[in-house]
Amino acid sequence: MSDSYGIGNGSERLTPVSSLSVMDRSPGGSPFAYVPDASRDEVFGPDGLPRAHCRDWLRDIEMLGVEDMQRRWDHARRLIRDNGVTYNVYGDPRGMDRPWELDPIPLVVDAPEWTDIARGLEQRATLLNCILLDIYGEQKLLTRGLLPPELVLALPGFLRPMHGVKLPRGIALHMAASDLARAPGGGFWVLSDRTQTPSGAGYALENRIVISRTLPGVFHDARVQRLASYFRTLRDTLLSLAPRGRESPRIVLLTPGPHNETYFEHAYLARYLGFALVEGADLTVRDRQVYVKTLGGLERVDVILRRLDDAFCDPLSLRSDSSLGVAGLVHAVRAGKVAVANALGSGLVETPALLAFLPKLCRELLGEDLLLPSVPTYWCGDPEARSYVLDHLDAMVIKTTAWGPEAFEPMFVGGLSSSERSDLRARIKTRPEAFVAQESVPLSTAPVWTKGRLQPRHITIRAYVTHSPRGYETMPGGLTRVSATQDSLVVTMQRGGGSKDLWIRAENNEVNPVTLLRQPSQHAEVLRSGGDLPSRVADNMFWLGRYLERAENAVRLLRALFARLTDETTTDVPELTQLLHALEVTSDLETGSITGPEVANMDPVQLVVAERPQSSLRATVIAAHRSASVVRDRLSSDTWRIIGQVQRMVIEASGTPNFRLSDAFDLLGQLLVHFSALSGLAHENMTHGPGWRFADMGRRVERLHHTARLLRTLLVPVDADDAPTLEALLEIADSAITYRTRYLGMLQVPLVLDLLLTDESNPRSIGFQLAALGAHIERLPRADRSPRLPEEARITLSAIAKTRLADVNVLAAADAGNGRPALDALLAELEHEAPHLAESLTRGYLSHAAPSQSLDGRS
Amino acid sequence: MRYRVTHTTTYTYEEAVSVSHNEARITPRRTLGQNPQRTQLLVDPMPAALIADTDYFGNTTHFFSLEESHERLTVTAVSDVDVDGIPTPAPGLTPAWESVPELIRRDRTRAGNDAVGYVFPSPLSRYDAEIRAYAEESFAPGRPVLDAAVDLTRRIYQDFAYVPGSTSISTPLSSVMRARRGVCQDFAHLQIAMLRSLGLPARYVSGYLRTLPAPGRPRLTGSDASHAWLSLYCPGFGYIDLDPTNGTIPNDEHVTVAWGRDFGDVSPLKGVILGGGAHDLRVSVDVAAA
Repeated sequence: MSDSYGIGNGSERLTPVSSLSVMDRSPGGSPFAYVPDASRDEVFGPDGLPRAHCRDWLRDIEMLGVEDMQRRWDHARRLIRDNGVTYNVYGDPRGMDRPWELDPIPLVVDAPEWTDIARGLEQRATLLNCILLDIYGEQKLLTRGLLPPELVLALPGFLRPMHGVKLPRGIALHMAASDLARAPGGGFWVLSDRTQTPSGAGYALENRIVISRTLPGVFHDARVQRLASYFRTLRDTLLSLAPRGRESPRIVLLTPGPHNETYFEHAYLARYLGFALVEGADLTVRDRQVYVKTLGGLERVDVILRRLDDAFCDPLSLRSDSSLGVAGLVHAVRAGKVAVANALGSGLVETPALLAFLPKLCRELLGEDLLLPSVPTYWCGDPEARSYVLDHLDAMVIKTTAWGPEAFEPMFVGGLSSSERSDLRARIKTRPEAFVAQESVPLSTAPVWTKGRLQPRHITIRAYVTHSPRGYETMPGGLTRVSATQDSLVVTMQRGGGSKDLWIRAENNEVNPVTLLRQPSQHAEVLRSGGDLPSRVADNMFWLGRYLERAENAVRLLRALFARLTDETTTDVPELTQLLHALEVTSDLETGSITGPEVANMDPVQLVVAERPQSSLRATVIAAHRSASVVRDRLSSDTWRIIGQVQRMVIEASGTPNFRLSDAFDLLGQLLVHFSALSGLAHENMTHGPGWRFADMGRRVERLHHTARLLRTLLVPVDADDAPTLEALLEIADSAITYRTRYLGMLQVPLVLDLLLTDESNPRSIGFQLAALGAHIERLPRADRSPRLPEEARITLSAIAKTRLADVNVLAAADAGNGRPALDALLAELEHEAPHLAESLTRGYLSHAAPSQSLDGRS
Repeated sequence: MRYRVTHTTTYTYEEAVSVSHNEARITPRRTLGQNPQRTQLLVDPMPAALIADTDYFGNTTHFFSLEESHERLTVTAVSDVDVDGIPTPAPGLTPAWESVPELIRRDRTRAGNDAVGYVFPSPLSRYDAEIRAYAEESFAPGRPVLDAAVDLTRRIYQDFAYVPGSTSISTPLSSVMRARRGVCQDFAHLQIAMLRSLGLPARYVSGYLRTLPAPGRPRLTGSDASHAWLSLYCPGFGYIDLDPTNGTIPNDEHVTVAWGRDFGDVSPLKGVILGGGAHDLRVSVDVAAA
């Protein structure tokens, strides 16, 4: 066996290169070649050979070969895209819903090494928790001189309203995360701690699911420790925080909303842990008790897992400019009526300055040496540290102690101009307490899969701990973050970096067979769903149903139209103008905008891909996707995936040059298949609870409106040649086959009307929509118990009666020169009642309270 | 001296408010020279919950919420309070101003740590080079800190015009500095920022002021407003009040309600309401010798 160097079959040579191959290679030569970075590599040793704990799994990957690996990886990327694993990047127009970047090569940390890291992390969380309890309590650390008050009291993260609060079970940190990097001496050290809303654990879990599906054999043979136990511990810890005597505590996950960078993770974790995903506006405080606003009324909340930053959680007692929080939350916490995890104010210990004090604090508070060191850190408020920093400024990264008006992104002094340097020096001297210096240290590297090759990237590890009955417990895994380019030392998802799965191998080759699927746990009672649907969620479900139906209606109409435009066999299409007119009416366009004199110049493809008007197919599909994204935690992953595909198909079409009529026709056909899948999923795969009910009502209302307008446009004006129009109508309404089996092809207006208007067994008919709406409305939870029928029920009942009593022969009767007046009257009424019904439902169940405002007592 | 303080705040909303949550700091606190005898808080309409609490700074706070639809909110606080004032130290005996930061740094008692909390810029009291430069004129090297601070108080009183309505809560201090005018909150924030820019701890005080009756005329009821001033921490002497709006050291004509880093910590009445639309706010304060 020799070390082969090169790419592919070794035809191109690079030095120094080391091959992945450690065993006999297949005859084709080494499929992988890798040039490790000059600095330390996690996978390859200084001799260019894989490290001992990497040999077996690397060999397994190598045995797959480049092509198989690439094929699997393409599949995995599709999985990520289809599952909607996204990360939002602020300030980037393309940034919303950016696909999550994951590399297929895992990072593997040797089990004994990880055991040390885990012990260090657990000690660290214990220490940080003690520090928080002290600063929000007796402040002995300040009076004993262990922490300088000029550091602590100047931090905006010190939330004075939270001082003196008694926390349930004495826990401020229910979970914490630390960013780790390889220290030059060998072990890992901590770069920073995340304590208020540690993010990324959900991405770590998703990474694991994707990688274990992509490389099942490699994963299995490597005996990787499972992540599920971590999440179960977290859930148990949160449950244990509920005030005593609550048999089935309600836990919610509070998110800032879909615009947050890690919103995907909020929805993902809410689903995985079985908590309701809520926004601030879903919650309200009454008599210092927190409630969630649901369709069935106010439901008490016991524990809030929050992903909202400290200061934004309560506009009354914290930042008054926050529109994301819950007014009165601080008072509810002070009264012990609700637990918030992590405790409000726990962001305090995120300040990088604290790293300089941890070794001493650990000895004083825990009587132990700090096990896991931090990157060398100096708080400039200390005169000795300051003079050291100023003497070695070029080797430092300068940070501010906290985020505030004076804060800036970390500055690598080595990369600054001399005037920038002297400016920085002056700022440090003016207000030294506000600055922290850390030694600028190289990161280690690990190989990533780039276009069929391995390339080195800098990495850091985000590791997680959660509180457990036995103290803190470390997740056996985590999120490996990867720099965007080989040269970049900055590892952040906001800057376009990537991620890797982190594998910790079972030490004694035993893998605890915990499944990642939801446990049939003793806590089954908190996982139920029912009348506790937040009103905001119901509202979005309603609109999701409406937009999807609206899009499907548009597709059906356009397809019928395009079929006639592309049909080469006939030149005479008498119903074309009528169809175009129907499109105008159902798209809320002015008469003449499609059928006008310029119709000859119109590009019909624009009807599919144009961004405007508001009612265009493209705009409707995007609106449906938006509504779905807000209720993503309520949708099955298949549903979400198809909605994503639909949006992608339409957007890609609009970006395709020379997108022709025939392409559009194909696209419409594919879209219809997707829409059918969606309605099938909605019916067969969704619990028929209130969420489904509102989605279905949205669909019915929209179909009612659409069908009424369609029939009115196509059937009211009497045409000498009814047959082609009737045929088109049946086609658009997807009822042609039913008609033909019933009437064997004799197209007559009364029979068509019966099928599309009065027949309540045809899912496309107006009668069917009304009956379904009536049944839904009867089952809605009603807070108001008055004997008077609610408005939406009255509208529906009256429309049902009118439709049932209608005689299709009378409706079909034409009045010379006047079309069909009886039909016109009935359809006009139905057309009017559909939006009226939607408004009434919104008023009764979905309308949000008026926006809240903060008043400060100064006019 | 005993005063009866009546502080009434009325919000009238254009549209109904369905829920409101409020935090009030309008009942005078106990201080070295001040003893509240009896305080009463009336909220109309009747709140669903009214809870008294003490905040981080030791101020009495009231948290109350209204859960019935209402178009008007009236909060009235009536307090009887004895104000005796405390003797002011001779300014010349206070330490040189440059020594104060180090004296505080070395004092790790609760009092010393507490003072540290008032040294830093706070959201409504930030300084810049101009603000610091203005302050420095009063702080000649070695000058006793209170002597210099009183001088600064008088200069602000002389150089700045008291113009009601000339500023709002969001007016930055740099604008007040440039325009040389404002109201009592601005002057308090300004002097606090100036003192802090020199490393001196200063806190914001909210309260009431007895307006002396004009000769031969009855005392003007309801014309007195909510007032604001500041307190400088002198190591060894404690906190000493300074009122730049009147150019004085407060004695027995100031009733202290609450203190904090700036107005944001002691806002007399703040609330978050659902609905309401536009609103009209009326505040009246009556400080009568009892």
